[in-house]
Amino acid sequence: MQEPLIAFRQVSYRYPRTRHYALKRLEFGIRRGEFVAILGENGAGKSTLCQMLNGVIPHTRGGRMRGRVLVDGLDTRQGEVAQLAQKVGIVLDDPETQLFTTSVLNEVAFGPENLGIEPDEILRRARWALDVVRLGGYEDHPPSALSGGQKQRLAIAAALAMMPDILVLDEATSQLDPVGTVEVLSIVQKLNHNQAMTIIMATDKGEQVARFCDRVLVLHRGELLAEGTPRQVFADQDLLARITIRSPQVSQLAAYLQRHGRPLPEFPITLDEARRGIEQIVGDQPET
Amino acid sequence: MTEFAVQIEGLRYVYQPQGIAALDGIDLAVQRGEFVGIIGENGAGKTTLLKNMVGLLRPTSGKVWIDGLDASQQAVSNLATHVGFVLQNPDQQLFAQTVEEEIAFGPRNLKLDKQEIRGRVEDAIAATGLEAFRSEFPPALPKGERAKVVIASVLAMRPETVILDEPTTGQDYKGCHQIMQIAYHLHRAGHTVLVVTHDMALIAEYAQRTVVLHEGRVLLDDTTAAVFAQPELLQRTHVTPPQITRLARALPRKLALPPTALTVAELGRSIVESPKQK
Amino acid sequence: MSPLIQYVPGDSFFHRLDPRAKIVFMLLMTTIVFVIQRIWIAAAVWLSLLALWRVARLPFSILKQMSKALLGITVFLFVVQALFYPGQTSLIYPIIPETVPIIGGVGRITLEGILFAVLIALRLFAMVLILPLVSLTTPVQLLALGLVRLGLPYSLTYAMTTAINLIPVLQDEANVIVDAQRLRAMQVFEKGRFWEKLRAYPPLVTPLVIGAMRRAQLIAVAMDSRAFGASKNRTYIQDIRMRLSDWVFMGATVLYAALVVAAGWLIP
Repeated sequence: MQEPLIAFRQVSYRYPRTRHYALKRLEFGIRRGEFVAILGENGAGKSTLCQMLNGVIPHTRGGRMRGRVLVDGLDTRQGEVAQLAQKVGIVLDDPETQLFTTSVLNEVAFGPENLGIEPDEILRRARWALDVVRLGGYEDHPPSALSGGQKQRLAIAAALAMMPDILVLDEATSQLDPVGTVEVLSIVQKLNHNQAMTIIMATDKGEQVARFCDRVLVLHRGELLAEGTPRQVFADQDLLARITIRSPQVSQLAAYLQRHGRPLPEFPITLDEARRGIEQIVGDQPET
Repeated sequence: MTEFAVQIEGLRYVYQPQGIAALDGIDLAVQRGEFVGIIGENGAGKTTLLKNMVGLLRPTSGKVWIDGLDASQQAVSNLATHVGFVLQNPDQQLFAQTVEEEIAFGPRNLKLDKQEIRGRVEDAIAATGLEAFRSEFPPALPKGERAKVVIASVLAMRPETVILDEPTTGQDYKGCHQIMQIAYHLHRAGHTVLVVTHDMALIAEYAQRTVVLHEGRVLLDDTTAAVFAQPELLQRTHVTPPQITRLARALPRKLALPPTALTVAELGRSIVESPKQK
Repeated sequence: MSPLIQYVPGDSFFHRLDPRAKIVFMLLMTTIVFVIQRIWIAAAVWLSLLALWRVARLPFSILKQMSKALLGITVFLFVVQALFYPGQTSLIYPIIPETVPIIGGVGRITLEGILFAVLIALRLFAMVLILPLVSLTTPVQLLALGLVRLGLPYSLTYAMTTAINLIPVLQDEANVIVDAQRLRAMQVFEKGRFWEKLRAYPPLVTPLVIGAMRRAQLIAVAMDSRAFGASKNRTYIQDIRMRLSDWVFMGATVLYAALVVAAGWLIP
């Protein structure tokens, strides 16, 4: 069996100066090339989990960590954030705070500059990254002049310039309008398909999850409550009764129909599946 | 007493010095007791419109009446007692030592007597379900509660109309639901409610009427069902109806299911009541 | 962005100077302005800086704005120095004769006082020209690079550039906060009484500070995630090189500074 690319082994963590644990004995693995969603309420530990993937926790944030997080064989407690940053790129939810420089090109170059990479190589990486996120031609623009969607795309490019194998999106679309959200997700999907990049996306939006993700991890109060394909998770009525996560409306419909004794033949997570299912159970109205 | 909570005629607003017309002739009349959703892509002018309603911006031309008063002649502090504006980011106004003090801030600025202030604070706490948090430091509360504190502090101004600007940004599903429930109850109690949001599922569920802004003008202004029944027009302004509505539209006519279903329950009910496949 | 700091793109000789030359210029000029003791020298320096402003093709509207801001201080300066400077030549005789103990001599205006005020005013006006000359003609990124090449550790210059970049962000944030509190009937600028103005601070300052702290934590996470501080040999995609014109400018600045100091010593 292939070793997972990312492994959490009995990971518990609490932030400095707090008593309660943000994560409790998390245990799971993520394989190379997977597109995994992390679902959960606010405060469930999604951001904490994301920040453990590149070592920001525990190195930058401090606190008390137990267990092991292994990323491509490297133990995050032993490795440094700078090392891990070359394996794991992270995009945060706020488009403003993660951009520091005065031009798009400088922003993308920031990471590789910190690593001491040759300027020619940096420019090569920058051009490639900006191309991927479709911001080629915006090199001299100040980041503050970009739209929300463009800013997040820039943040992705800045992460890509570090040449990671893994991209983590910590609620990266939560502050964007629908247009920006689609922009970001289409790029992320492209990276997953074309470059076999492993994607971990903390999100609240069930419909996004259903469309793009191979697997879902459900967090609740720091614990892994459920794990499975989107279909398995959204069809789990007991789970949804215990915690409030937003499943796709078509899945909510399926649950409603089930409760009222008129179930669909198969549990849908997309619009087309729902349509086909409804056509099968509803008879034509007689012509009057 | 006028029947209109908000009346806008020919509103134009131009941002100087760039000379960009963010609003280019808006006509809008909201009667007391309506629940209206305002949608549109970023840059369509939603925030500019709201700011003109509460006096933070004064119209370049055109007129805005709030509860029959000419908004351009009113001070912001006076308009705030007619129309409450709940800003998008609660962290940009929370400052007091306790939730109670935070809520009392507005009434205190209005120079009301202690008894009155006390009463308003209690009512606001009750309306937003913040009883358990009344002595907490507002900035330290979780996101959902912070948003509620802001709503409560606006309610303490006792406005007729309450405007919520993107109340669900950054909130999880539970938080969204709680906030919209507060809006719902305000509406039930007789207030006029305006909600600006990108979340079409929420609009479909709560707003009876929806106004679509596009490039500074009103593109559509109709019942929510009628608005979502025009996806081609909405596409122009990058608005996508909720999944359930799109599903309903995609179903064959012969199944006689409502093509303008706005909620899961609505479509679900029709399916449950429909005849079975033979 | 504050008009005194925001980079104004341009193609003047001054714009094209190497940032290191400009930094040296700034340090030298600031120092000599501090040591000037003669009015005519102060005037000469001020006029030279104005000339440089013209050479850099910077807009005079900014100068007008600055002058307006300085007007209050200058008037205050004149009043104080005119009345209290221990000079010999009385222009206006005291209201209360000097023979009266303690308060005697009040109301006297001396020539020396006025001249001293003129000197300080000229120095002030010259001083405020120096920083904008550099900050308006140099993008923050290049300024930082210049400091690094001069030997300042990267982390320090980075702290400086981040702070500068955050100014417009915090200004916008402050505006939103003011709006939010106005919506709760806060009358920030309408109330005249001092006590009330003091009470106006927590609702404005607290959200700003808390917001800044939250922001700082997020920035730290973002920075570390892009390997900040990883390598002792940080590279830069931009390059700056001292050309002949830069060396000449630096030399000219040093010469000028020496002249000013010498003139102060040698000419009575």
